[in-house]
Amino acid sequence: MTKTIAMILAGGEGTRLTVLSEARAKPAVPFAGKFRIIDFALSNCVNSGIYTAGVLTQYRPHSLNDHIGIGKPWDLDRSRGGVRLLQPYQQRKGQHWYAGTADAIVQNMEFVWDNRADTALILSGDHIYKMDYAPMLQYHWETGADLTIAVMPVPLEETDRFGIMQVDEEQRIVAFYEKPKERDKGNLASMGIYVFNASTMEKRLREGSADTPRVDFGKHVIPAMIAAGDRVFAYRFEGYWVDVGTVDSYWATNLELLQPEPTLDLYTDNWPIHTRSEERPAAKIGPQSKVVSSMISNGCVIRGTVINSVLSPGVYVSPGAVVQDSVVMNDAWIGPGVHVHKAVIDKQVMVGAGTVLGTGDESVANMQMPDRLFAGITVVGKGAVIPDGAHIGRNVLINSGRDESAFPNDRIVADGQTI
Amino acid sequence: MTRAFAMIMAGGPSEDLSVLTEVRSEPAVPFGGKFRLIDFPLSNCVNSDIYNVAVLTQYKPRSLNDHIEIGKPWDLDRASGGVRLLQPYRGGPYGDWQRGTADAVRRNLDFVQLQSEEHVLILAGDHIYLMDYRPMLRQHLQTKADLTVAVRRVNLYETHRFGIVSVGSEQRIADFQEKPKRTRETLASMGIYIFRKQALIDILQDTDYVDFGKDVLPAMLKGSGEVYAYPFPGYWADVGTVQAYWEANMSLLSESPALDLYDPEWVVHTRSQERAPSKIGPNAHVEGNLLSNGCRVYGEVQRSVLSPGVYVAEGAIVRDSVILNDTSIEAGAVVDRCIIDKGVTVRAGAKVGDGDDNTPNTDMPEQINTGLTLAGKGCVIPEDMVVGRNVVIHPFCGEEAFGKRKKVASGKSIGKNLR
Repeated sequence: MTKTIAMILAGGEGTRLTVLSEARAKPAVPFAGKFRIIDFALSNCVNSGIYTAGVLTQYRPHSLNDHIGIGKPWDLDRSRGGVRLLQPYQQRKGQHWYAGTADAIVQNMEFVWDNRADTALILSGDHIYKMDYAPMLQYHWETGADLTIAVMPVPLEETDRFGIMQVDEEQRIVAFYEKPKERDKGNLASMGIYVFNASTMEKRLREGSADTPRVDFGKHVIPAMIAAGDRVFAYRFEGYWVDVGTVDSYWATNLELLQPEPTLDLYTDNWPIHTRSEERPAAKIGPQSKVVSSMISNGCVIRGTVINSVLSPGVYVSPGAVVQDSVVMNDAWIGPGVHVHKAVIDKQVMVGAGTVLGTGDESVANMQMPDRLFAGITVVGKGAVIPDGAHIGRNVLINSGRDESAFPNDRIVADGQTI
Repeated sequence: MTRAFAMIMAGGPSEDLSVLTEVRSEPAVPFGGKFRLIDFPLSNCVNSDIYNVAVLTQYKPRSLNDHIEIGKPWDLDRASGGVRLLQPYRGGPYGDWQRGTADAVRRNLDFVQLQSEEHVLILAGDHIYLMDYRPMLRQHLQTKADLTVAVRRVNLYETHRFGIVSVGSEQRIADFQEKPKRTRETLASMGIYIFRKQALIDILQDTDYVDFGKDVLPAMLKGSGEVYAYPFPGYWADVGTVQAYWEANMSLLSESPALDLYDPEWVVHTRSQERAPSKIGPNAHVEGNLLSNGCRVYGEVQRSVLSPGVYVAEGAIVRDSVILNDTSIEAGAVVDRCIIDKGVTVRAGAKVGDGDDNTPNTDMPEQINTGLTLAGKGCVIPEDMVVGRNVVIHPFCGEEAFGKRKKVASGKSIGKNLR
């Protein structure tokens, strides 16, 4: 009898999401109105029959801790197994943070053995996809693999973002390149989903030393295993899978759900994504409002116009306000006459009356973060208060908690500025 | 330490609600999109720090059992106290089925006896109101009453529907009339009672009183008991008829309804279903509605309350209606002034609630005469069928129940009454 344990890596900063992942870990970033990104990995686990999971946290875990709690929404509040949050801890022989993905796992090997697991499913907490892990595990056991990596083809021009591998006719991996700069390595990309034989994994992880580091799975562990002749196989996955790495892709992935038949179906299939639902009444659409092509969560009150946008629970849109092509998170307040266009607005933001947010030239990238904020999207951090009558351009970043005093006197924020 | 526990009456057959209570007891009838009627007394209890609650069931309790389960949404899954469902049972000293509210409590006097609290709060499971029971309990304790009755002012023309009390000095009740034809008093009993526990036991033991309003309250007044009124000024609705049920739902659509479900200080808890946010299509037209999570609207919805998972196809029209969970309204269908229960399919082109002919329903002329058409749980309304007003379509009617007809005239009923 084999037993699988899932280890979900949820400690990364996700710096490219800028202010969205400043006060929370990336897996805790809200998505599709009422979900958070980690809901997908957790729900995939329980839907695949895996009821033992460790969530490894490090960066700003409070939001994630609150969300997961004792795991009730996923039926992971169990007396045997269930979900456990694994924080970095001090040891007698020194103290260290998790230095990387593999290091985080090796520091928690005891959790794996305590649960008497012989197979470890390593997942990333910041991917959006629906996947049944059972066939992959079956494949892993049938091939007698030491490590099975889920793979999917990606466009050739994106191969430098992924671990790229080459396989033989048996799907055994013969070469692995972590984020190769060259475009000649093929397009079979690792999805960051690994099934390990637990004892082989521990053996390889414990080999780590200053000369042979075992800190990161992609950089160190997988190449070392292939070099050592371990049985490393690829498992092809076909379906929807997204790593929302940037603000641009976060925004686009949300808005994609508004298509009549989006690839990611949250309504009709029998693979439910569980989440901690907030207790809110039904969304209220006022008589004077107009709502088209949008997702509206419970607890929203709409008295203005909402077009092609995703609204989290409790958003208030005042009369005369227009929200278009935007993602607005919980309990944000959009004042009367406000125009919001192409923006990502975090929780509890207040946009003062008559403000225009997201107007101007899309091609002016953010001055401070030209590599992260360049697609015309304006981002407002949690709890920011934007004064009445402000004029805010594109690719603008408003940091969390900023209030009127942080804005210039004329209340005009040009394209690409940061508050 | 709270000095009272609550008993909620949830066993009545509530025949006036027609198809809504053919398949479930009245407290389990959905309301305001995602709630059920029992959520109001249960939430009022926990919001008033009463964590020991019994629910007395008899008529078709399964839906209610599923909803309450172990009381998790109300934090009533507790080691001491919590929520308890009390079913009718055989072998007790008072015969078999319960004949009324007081009789139901009598069958459970052993349970009453066992509770450590000295006072009993008796509530109805089918009233809609937000009420803090603590001031009422405080008054009950201060006056050292045997019985305190919550009362509210009603219009003179409504007094014939209620138990009417006359109040002497210091809120002491002097007289009581059950549904008087003519009276000058306007204080109506709300069916909310606090008894000193021993006084309740004394009045029920060895007597034959069936109903609290009709029998017990007059008997208490005749006896030597101290009976006081507690005036409650807030919103309170007894949705015992289909018209009242429809009106209470519709009143939630006003700009600032008397019943505030969005108050974070007085949350109405319910078992939330796990659903994605409601999705509104590109050509949809939504005005003045409550939309619950999981709804998908591609057509036109006006002044209506939609429960979770309702589907309105492109080209369909829903007006002034209450639509319960997972009902689907297909293309070109028109639903006007209807109450449509769960899981109903309105096929393409059907017109439900058609024309101006307001002939009362032939089976229930007293109850269904205001033009509302009702479709019971799980029924299917065939393609292009025209259904008039005051029509009752009983639960689980297939298309075959309509026979060869193309039109159902106002006031007719289709299918078999499941009561």
